[in-house]
Amino acid sequence: MTTLAPATAVVAARGRRRSFRTSHSWSSLLYLLPALAFFVVFVIYPIIVSVQTSFYDYDGLTPATPVGMQNYLAIFTKPALQDALKHSMVLLFFYAALPVCIGLVLAGAMSRIRIYGLTLVRALLFIPQVLSSVVVAVSWRDLLAADGLINEALRLVGLGAMTTSWLGDFNTALPAIGLVGTWVEYGLCMVLFLAGIVTIDRSLYEAARLDGAGPVREFFAITLPALRPQISIALILTITFALRNFDIIWNTTRGGPGTSTSVPSVYIYQDAFQNRMLGQASALAVVLTILILLIVGIVQWLVREPDPSGLGGGTPPTRKRGHR
Amino acid sequence: MDSTQAGFHIRRRLAPGTLIAGALALAVTLAGCSAPGSGSGGTATEQDVITAPLTAADVAELGDVTLSLWADQAEEPLMDLLVPAYEAAYPTVSVDVTYKSFDDLIATAVNAAASNSAPDLFQGNIGYALDGALVKGQLVRPLDDVADVYGWTEGTGASTLAPARWSKDASTFGSGTLYGMSPISEVQGIYYNKAKLQALGLDAPSSIDQLKGDLAVASQAGELPIMLGNADQYAGAHIFSDIAATTQDPAAIRAWIGGDPDATFVTEGNIQAADTMADWASKGYLGDGYDGLGNEDAIQRFADGEGVFFVGGSWNGAHLNDDEFGFGPLAAGGVGATASPWHISSSSDVTEAAIAFLDMLRTPETGQWILDTGRLPVITDGVLASDELQKQTLTALKETIAAGTQVGYYDWTTTDMFTVLGGGLQEVMAGRISSEEFVETVQAAWVEGHGVE
Repeated sequence: MTTLAPATAVVAARGRRRSFRTSHSWSSLLYLLPALAFFVVFVIYPIIVSVQTSFYDYDGLTPATPVGMQNYLAIFTKPALQDALKHSMVLLFFYAALPVCIGLVLAGAMSRIRIYGLTLVRALLFIPQVLSSVVVAVSWRDLLAADGLINEALRLVGLGAMTTSWLGDFNTALPAIGLVGTWVEYGLCMVLFLAGIVTIDRSLYEAARLDGAGPVREFFAITLPALRPQISIALILTITFALRNFDIIWNTTRGGPGTSTSVPSVYIYQDAFQNRMLGQASALAVVLTILILLIVGIVQWLVREPDPSGLGGGTPPTRKRGHR
Repeated sequence: MDSTQAGFHIRRRLAPGTLIAGALALAVTLAGCSAPGSGSGGTATEQDVITAPLTAADVAELGDVTLSLWADQAEEPLMDLLVPAYEAAYPTVSVDVTYKSFDDLIATAVNAAASNSAPDLFQGNIGYALDGALVKGQLVRPLDDVADVYGWTEGTGASTLAPARWSKDASTFGSGTLYGMSPISEVQGIYYNKAKLQALGLDAPSSIDQLKGDLAVASQAGELPIMLGNADQYAGAHIFSDIAATTQDPAAIRAWIGGDPDATFVTEGNIQAADTMADWASKGYLGDGYDGLGNEDAIQRFADGEGVFFVGGSWNGAHLNDDEFGFGPLAAGGVGATASPWHISSSSDVTEAAIAFLDMLRTPETGQWILDTGRLPVITDGVLASDELQKQTLTALKETIAAGTQVGYYDWTTTDMFTVLGGGLQEVMAGRISSEEFVETVQAAWVEGHGVE
């Protein structure tokens, strides 16, 4: 029942606000019209067509035949697609959780330690985010190959027994792709958190130090709670990236070996562009979109800002003090 | 919250709400209520059937026209020779070629053919994913009259037309109405490193049993027996098809690929072939990490002297020089297939010019050009190879066509077979599933794809 409460509150608030309508809003609309037109034609319209197509059996050429919920039923009954969803959950850890943690550690360290040439270091760490994902995928394919740099390095330090064809091995392919994602995303998280740290009132740190807090305590008591909005944004971006990831996987393993790295977006691509099953592809795309919204929504609810005024109605029954 | 503050918030909040409502209304209007695709579809008009070879005068009746072509970029060297010759023979026609990468071509050809500005003549790809869609959508012109008039159905190359023949409803292919023509063929076989074979005291293998023995010898000598790059999932499938074809009737394999409801993949020969693959993989004959290596990288390494054998299609020969490498078929006659067929758009205004171009693609002169530019022609009469490797490959092709062992590729059979078979084989080779499970999985996907009981 607690989940229903905020929704009711919002609806009630909306109803109240309608009576305050003023004429000013319509003139402001005109300014938005050009952008709105693009948004409708290139975002809203395709979404609606996708949803519509998902209820049809359609090859893109001959007239479509309505099939009701059949395309959606197939998603929840095909073992291959369920495996793909499981792989996505594994990637969530590597693409979202791990980069946020690494980003926090780096940002925390950088804000405390004065590093000579900090701007350069920051820029270098941010590079993965700037590179095209195809470039990233091709580079990592070479690095992770049986005779790639990573295995060479392992042999050099006497860990030759550990070497494998990382992307060609059923057991290591998924984590290996996951680590590529970690590498891509941690720079973004770090930059977001560094920007957040700048806005923290320095006097808070002074106060903490006067109270005898060490660097770790300082991080958990001041930095981490203050970064809540940035963590929230980082999670939205990384989770979305994790769940809709296609280009890195397609350009490293194509979902293989076997189906060990297949994710929903690989099947969406194959159904839409290779198998000409546009209805099935659309249904999967719709489900994936809802899934992304759902997971992002849950995570947002978990890391939301505690509302001291209580007006939002979203205050949980038990409020955690501090963080973790 | 006082009222002025509230009012400020309201103005800011209302606009997006109204905008979204307006956007949705507009989008719904745009989307309309009709089912997807109800407005499109092929132009199924009756074609003008030809009864005699077209002359330059016949083509000139069209007036000064442009013949638009969409071709795989691999065809560019051939087109550079053919297009000037064609324009000289048919001076009223100017040819406009658009080259696309293979991936790009197969991803866009169907939509281009269905558009208002469809190319007059373009390359498809055998199988349900592309050619099947073109036939089903009635986007390409039937070519039976052309084949009769120009004598394509006689002579050595006649059997190579089969993969472009489709049943009326595009449910099966391999026989029926002709919808396309490819002047280029491919043959599967085994490449070997001459120096390494000599050092190991071996002859070029001519059968699968001989090869098995050779692999053991190479492995014991510390050489990599077979260079394989299977990250793209097709190289392993090609080795499998080579082995599978040695013990089975080519006609039965063709029937399965063509979607014959009585055919099955669950055969003793396929199970044995999968066993052989798993056996080779577990003995290390295929090296380590083949699933992490692409085919292009693998052939490059083989060309640089890594590995004794390379099993694959004739297109890989372009990377190898004839001093160091040789080629031979594995099965009697070898396994082969026809390359991407050319189609005439059913909405073309210059059909006669397109027919004349197809005719020119299938002459012995063009056959020589095809060989000279590194491919294998369907018409091999009077075509001369210039080096030993080319000669071996051409001989294998001729024997393949003569023996009728051009079974084609397994992934033609359903749109998802490429991944089902290629991925399944990776699991067999890694010892994760048994050969029986593999053939059952492939057959299940085939049954679903063809809708047969």
